[in-house]
Order: sequence, then C-alpha cells, then structure tokens
Amino acid sequence: MKEKEGFVDCPEQQMIVYVEKEDGQYGPMQTGSYITKNYIEDYFLKRNNLISKLKEQVDREEISPVKLFMVLEDLTVSELSARTRIPFRKVKKHLLPGPFKTIPNTLLEHYAAVFNITVEQLLDVDAGYEQKNDEDASK
Amino acid sequence: MTTIPFNHKMGAHCESGTVTSLLNHAGLTISEPMVFGIASGIFFGYFHKHKSFPFPTFIVRNRPGEIRKNIGKQLGIRFQTFSFPREESGMEKLDELLISGIPVACQVDFFYLDYVPSWERVHINVHFMVVIGKEGSDYIISDSYFPGPVRLPEHSLRKGRFAGGTMSPKGFIFYPAHVPSSSDLRKPILKGIRKACFNMLSIPVPFIGIKGIRLFAKRVADWPKLARDTEHLSHEVMKINILLEDQGTGGAGFRYMYATFLQQAADIVELPELKERSAELMAIGDGWREISLFAARIGKNRDLGTARMKELGDLIMDRAAVEERFFNGLKKSVK
Repeated sequence: MKEKEGFVDCPEQQMIVYVEKEDGQYGPMQTGSYITKNYIEDYFLKRNNLISKLKEQVDREEISPVKLFMVLEDLTVSELSARTRIPFRKVKKHLLPGPFKTIPNTLLEHYAAVFNITVEQLLDVDAGYEQKNDEDASK
Repeated sequence: MTTIPFNHKMGAHCESGTVTSLLNHAGLTISEPMVFGIASGIFFGYFHKHKSFPFPTFIVRNRPGEIRKNIGKQLGIRFQTFSFPREESGMEKLDELLISGIPVACQVDFFYLDYVPSWERVHINVHFMVVIGKEGSDYIISDSYFPGPVRLPEHSLRKGRFAGGTMSPKGFIFYPAHVPSSSDLRKPILKGIRKACFNMLSIPVPFIGIKGIRLFAKRVADWPKLARDTEHLSHEVMKINILLEDQGTGGAGFRYMYATFLQQAADIVELPELKERSAELMAIGDGWREISLFAARIGKNRDLGTARMKELGDLIMDRAAVEERFFNGLKKSVK
C-alpha cells in the first residue's frame, strides 16, 4: 500500500501501518483507524439496539442481568466461569432470572468485577448500562 | 517514585512493539518488523467453534508470548520473567523493579485499560505494554498503541494483570536481563523465515496456515446461521476489518509488516530475491485490505445475503491461493 492511500485522518484512534514510501522503501506511518472514522456511529447504533433488546428481555424476566452483561461484553459461559472462578454449571444457572435472585453477594461481586461495574449497577441494569454509556460519551 | 527516561515509540503490534522498545532501551538497535520476522510472527488460524469465543474468529499472528521467546532464542537475549499467584506480590515486584530503574513489560487484559476508548475495549488477556514509572497511585505506561505515554490507575492495572480466563496473565511481567551488544542477524532471519513458511504451509492441522484461510473462506457462508440477528451478523462481519487492520497488525493482517521485514532482510542476508518476495507480499496485503473494506461496507449496509457472503468467501479463498504460492516461493528462496 502506498503512503498516500493509507493515511486516514482519525485522531480518536491512532495506529501504525506499514506502507510503501515515495522512495520505494517500506516503513511505518502513523495514521488513524478507517473503521472508527467511517463507521463508529453504526457501532454505537448496533450496541444501543442490543442493550435495549437485552434490557427488554431482563424486564420480561427471560434473562438475568448476568446474561445481559455477558452478551454485551462478548463473553462465553466458559470464559465467564473462568474469569469469575464460579463453576460453569452455576454460571449457566445464573443466566436465568430465577436463580439470579438467589446469588449471594460474594458471587455478585465476582461478576461485577469482571464486568467492571458495581454490584448495585449489576442489580439495577439501567444504572449499569447508563454508566457504560457515560463512559462511551466521555471518550 | 519518578518515571524512568524511556524512548516511547508507537508500534504496529503490542507484543512486537513492546519487545522492540525494551531491546532498543537496552541498547540493541533493531526494528519492529525485524523482531516480528525473526520471531516468525506471521500466521493464520481460523476458529469456527471455541469455548472462549462466542462467534467464529481468526488470528493472524503466532501464539502470544512466542515473539519474546523466539527472538530471545534466536538472538541470545535472556528475558527475566515472573508470574505471581498473589496480586500483592505481583504489584510489589513491579514497584521494586521500577525503583531499580528497570522498565517492565506487563501482560494485561485490554478491557481494564482506562486510557483505551470504550469502543476498542475487549476482554483479551494478551495485551503487552511497558510500565515506565509511578506517580502517586498512577502508573506511567508506554503502550505502543498510543502516540505518547499514558497514565493508568493502580486498581485498573491490578485488574488487568490479574484477570482470570483463557490465557490469564497471572501478573506476568518481563524485561531483558541480558542483551548482546550486537547480533549477526543473518542466521536468525533465515531460520525465522523457514519457520514462518512451515507454520503457513505444513502444520498438519486443518484450521492453521493456508488450510485455515481455506476453512475460513468456506465457513464464512455459515455465519448468518450463527448470528442472533442481522445487526449481530453485521457486527461480526465488520470485525473482520478490525481483526485485519485495527488490532495492532500494521495493516492487512501483518502482511505489510512482514513485507517490510523481507525488504530489510534482503540486504542483511544478501538475497535480492527477498525484495521481490517483499513486493509480492505487499500486493497480497492489498488484497487482504480489499477484504477489510468489503467487509466493512457490506456490514454497514446490512448487505449480508447469500450472494454477498459467498463473494466474501471467494475473496478470502483467493488469498489462500496467492499465499500458498507466495510461501512456497519464499521457502525455495531461503532453502
């Protein structure tokens, strides 16, 4: 790729790309992210729609907040189990609203730590994802 | 504690960038593409089902940690490494090394790095960066993905270093304890190229190397069946662009950086043919970049019907064919 073709003006996300310079030598060029520059709004649109859908499922008591944040953070049950150090079968149960209500506080803390939120935000999903949205807006 | 004078430099990739910065700091002049190439960093693997990934994905570099291990072995560099069963001892050791004036590379989960924009943060336990100081309760970080040093609160670094899950960092840190003042790069370059060719052509596993690219090309048509809905499919298809371009690859899934390595290597090993191979790989990289742009476009337009997904698969299949020719040619060049 030629140097001119590779440059993207996106100060929000800088990176190094290797390009062909004018003298034919290959070397690094600091540039911006093409996908962030052109498609970041689409990313947030999809993310907000996903949050709304999952939130509706929580409200209808089809899934638990653990499932909501697990899907949102692109984790599998196996990965969440390994990260929280909670057995796989228990995590699977905790994805359902009924068993979620019986989770002791110590285990809720494990989940909250992995999702990088507080236990209060895990119990009150609105607050949980509002905090995530605030983080997004502040960047 | 103050900050250790350290020449912060952006790098294409976190591990090769971190290792290069530390070696440069220790007095060895070597470029990031040279580190990447000698360490046989170029790779391909496709995972259609994996317990840690909620959706099919692919990798374009060798296993995390291999760059450090391979460059150490090839150039006679001794890296001092530490892992910790307890957080406290891990944080204490880091502080102790910083007080001694040693910049320290840390393995962390990318998700907990507060200085990373939210849309980039994902749970991935194999991000590498250099800690160069501590001011109050903040650590000063030289992260090769950022234009300058950044600050990270102690609690976030702790979370990142001791995250659980697949390839959990376990507080892993390292620094070069012995670096030869100069190295003859000829043998390491040739060895690195041979190993890269082996990895791409000969590993007898159906999802690795050229076979992996072919598998990706075939199985991408199944992605619509695995997605929750169209927006999920769009997100996953657009991630092809991110994995090839944005996640620290130097563009085109490391193909541009490896082409740069081959160009630099040609003069050192006095093998002008490598310059031709280098130009060939640059052109192959352009093809990968077309795939990135195509994936981003069809994802954004939700143009993800059978015909488009087949078109995407065909573009990927074409890369398998050209890379097979390329790596066979490269193998002959360094025989």
